Amino acid sequence: MQFHAFDSLYLEQLRAGDFRTQEHFVSYFSELIRLKLSKRLRSRAEVDDARQETFARVLTALRRDNGVRQPERLGAFVNSVCNNVLLEYYRSDSQAPQADAEEVQANLPDPALSAVDIIANREMQSEVRHILDQLPEKDRSLIKAIFLDERDKDEVCLDLGVDREYLRVLLHRAKKSFKSLYLKRMARELRQE
Amino acid sequence: MNHSEAAGLMATEKYLLDELPPDLREQFEEHLFDCHECALDVRAASVFLEQGKAVLANPAPTPAPTRNNDLGWFAWMRPAFAVPAFAALLLVIGYQNLVTYPALKSAVSQNQAPQILTAAPLLSSATRGPNAPALTIRQGEPFLLPLDIVPQSDASSYRIELHNPAGGVQWSLVVSSEAARNSLPLWAPGVSEAGQYEVAVVAVNPKGVDVSTARYAFALQFAKGVNPEP
Repeated sequence: MQFHAFDSLYLEQLRAGDFRTQEHFVSYFSELIRLKLSKRLRSRAEVDDARQETFARVLTALRRDNGVRQPERLGAFVNSVCNNVLLEYYRSDSQAPQADAEEVQANLPDPALSAVDIIANREMQSEVRHILDQLPEKDRSLIKAIFLDERDKDEVCLDLGVDREYLRVLLHRAKKSFKSLYLKRMARELRQE
Repeated sequence: MNHSEAAGLMATEKYLLDELPPDLREQFEEHLFDCHECALDVRAASVFLEQGKAVLANPAPTPAPTRNNDLGWFAWMRPAFAVPAFAALLLVIGYQNLVTYPALKSAVSQNQAPQILTAAPLLSSATRGPNAPALTIRQGEPFLLPLDIVPQSDASSYRIELHNPAGGVQWSLVVSSEAARNSLPLWAPGVSEAGQYEVAVVAVNPKGVDVSTARYAFALQFAKGVNPEP
């Protein structure tokens, strides 16, 4: 599903600091970057710092004339910047952000939730609750044990008499059920833009 | 890694479950940041899990049972039902005390007291003239039917019927052939309609077949100017 084509116009608007385009850019990559970082960094604070750093560096690079030559490869570029940030984290626990990156950070969309976001979150939570309620007790226990209690997956699967494939399929089905609502929400956000 | 490979591998699910080895994870991430479809899948699943954690951490409170539910079987006693129900009960009780019971009392006392019954002058329809003999009583007053049944050789029992002026059977009574050998003074309950009545005595053979019928007619009149007793 392509909500926005990553084309030269999109890059031009990002370079110009267009708020809506920046908002979309952050919204699109934020979760992907968070997931990537959370698999490699130890704390949530480090993940948040590294994510901000990644966005700042990408936007800084875009403002240079030849920062990104292939607009359609914007995602790959973001990933490579994130990898660089990670490498720096591996080398040193602390790092000093560059001056222009700080400046870009200040212009990023406010991550605070708006009233519309809160309502949308409630709607999503209600849908998730509905999906979870429809699952058998065993499946709910499985999801809770692994994702909320963060217990060892093999141990949980053993306790509940299922294998890892069962867990994957369970997640796949839940995602499939939820995806339609998620798509609706994305479409609504685009309309509001 | 291309999209087909990622889908075939269930890479989204494995990525979120931390099941991809480092090299495959790197390859999937390179693809993920470049593929809108996979990005959507990962984001949707990730949001589902984040929201799911919040839901599972705060399960919906079970609705507190209402007071009416606590009452169980006695729930019907709540005011919405109890007030109209008790009002209806009061009406019934009032009607019984003011109307039904006095009437029954009177009927019982009437039955327990000795009475003189007026007897219907029964003549066989075959022998009487054009005018049937008359019986004058008060409306609803019981009367006497002094019946002498002529025995029939093939009858094992007799069915006695009182036919009202409309031709319908007011009541019927079965007596055995033995009982029919004697005079049968029948106590007949009071009726509400004056007119031509007829007593039919039907002889019934052992097979239950009606074999003959004797008829006794009389005219029933209500006494004027006398109020019937309750």
